Amino acid sequence: MGMDPDSPEPSGGLKIPKLPDLKIPKLAVDRRKALTAAGVAVAAIAVLLVGGVLAMSYTEGQQVAAFESHVAASEADIFLVYDKISAHIRTPTNDLSVAECDAHARELAAIARYGRDVTAYHRQIVAADAVPEAYAGAQSAYVRALDNLNRAFTLWSSAAGAYEMHDYFAANRNIGEADSAWRAYAAAITDYDRELRAAEEGAEVPPA
Amino acid sequence: MEWKDVIPVIAGAVVILVVALVVKPALLGEPIGSPPVYIPPAPVPTPTPFPEDGEVSARNFRWTAIDGGVQTTEVTVPEALFLAHRGTPRFSDYTSWGRYALADADRPVLEDLARRIAPPSANPDEGYFRLMNLVFFVQQIPYDRDDNTTSYIEGVLPRHAMYVKGGVEYPKYPVEMLVDGRGDCEDAAILMAGLLDALGYDTVLLRYSDHMALGIRMNEFNPYYAKYTPRYFTYGGRHYYYVEGTDFEWSNVSVGSTAIRGRPLAIGDAIGTGLPSVQSETPEIVPLRYIPVPGEYRIRPARLPAGGA
Repeated sequence: MGMDPDSPEPSGGLKIPKLPDLKIPKLAVDRRKALTAAGVAVAAIAVLLVGGVLAMSYTEGQQVAAFESHVAASEADIFLVYDKISAHIRTPTNDLSVAECDAHARELAAIARYGRDVTAYHRQIVAADAVPEAYAGAQSAYVRALDNLNRAFTLWSSAAGAYEMHDYFAANRNIGEADSAWRAYAAAITDYDRELRAAEEGAEVPPA
Repeated sequence: MEWKDVIPVIAGAVVILVVALVVKPALLGEPIGSPPVYIPPAPVPTPTPFPEDGEVSARNFRWTAIDGGVQTTEVTVPEALFLAHRGTPRFSDYTSWGRYALADADRPVLEDLARRIAPPSANPDEGYFRLMNLVFFVQQIPYDRDDNTTSYIEGVLPRHAMYVKGGVEYPKYPVEMLVDGRGDCEDAAILMAGLLDALGYDTVLLRYSDHMALGIRMNEFNPYYAKYTPRYFTYGGRHYYYVEGTDFEWSNVSVGSTAIRGRPLAIGDAIGTGLPSVQSETPEIVPLRYIPVPGEYRIRPARLPAGGA
């Protein structure tokens, strides 16, 4: 004997109601409760949004602070190098003996080595900084400035090496190229200042 | 608790320390170690001076001073110094030949010689005569080419003579020319530069395509008696007047005589040499003292970012 599909009667004797007999229960809408629920939802979203913005702002602030401290440390060390450079440049060189000329060139080589190491060290730090998008231009310009300074010091080192080999043509050529790298460094610092101002004022960066 | 239980804890702590102190800074680009420091150049030991009581090479020079009087001057050079120079390789690049004129080891010999040829005088008017006596002394040292064995006291070319296109090049240290008693144009220019530098004159080497002479710094030199326009060249904003180091016209008065006659070449007289290159070319100026001097070196301070946390 087959089972009626519309009113199945399992062997346990429990009667399953027919589908058409099922009715959607009526919801008793309590307006007050609904408004409260919506309010809580909006408040939660607002808290999340404000919290997110605050958290992001705090992170960006931290990033800018880290960038600032790294640039400050870099500038402080670069000025230590500059102290050596200016003392070296101020040394009178009119009546030096050959031995004194050689010592003067060796001092230039030592300063060049120092400047090269300092710029490479700070370049690594500043380039690795995670900065807000608005500061990316300033960071890039500052890294470019350090790169040019590093190149200038490397060329000074080459000039001192050429002097030691008594290849004065090469020494002069290296000094000339180093002068160009110094000018590129100065231009990069100008770019950095402009990018930084734009980042702080939230303005578009005018073309160089 | 036993040791085998502690070891994993210590290992874990080490791993955390390595990650925190090395891996993370490396990944984030944070500094490892401290900023570089300035390391001054190591001092170079002063060379041992050549003993004055050792063997010396001596040579007598007979020359005519600016007043027409015939002078004799003996020059002694420590043998060890001369031999050391002969054993020193030469710079092929002429821009560094000023180093020969200023060689520290030659300085005592040159200062002594300059004092005897041009004795110090309280009268400033005698400055010109002192200068010209030094010029005349060098001009009267016989000219000899670098590829002539007669140019060297040993009678053979030195070990470090450079074989170049068109012959031999061997720029002599000042004392080498004094011991040899002969030399070519660059040897004379180098010796004259060394002697004048010992008297405090500012000089440069003037290099032509086939000749080398000296430039002496003077503010203005236009003597009324000169039958030529004194020639000078500007270097670093200063005027350097042409001075010939050799005079090809000096000759012995007679065969077998040590007396010589000829016409000295005055300061600024570039025509008297008779060399076409001297009259037509602008020489390359080679300073005696060279040091690499940067033109640009100023640091531009960078403004620091504001508005950090």
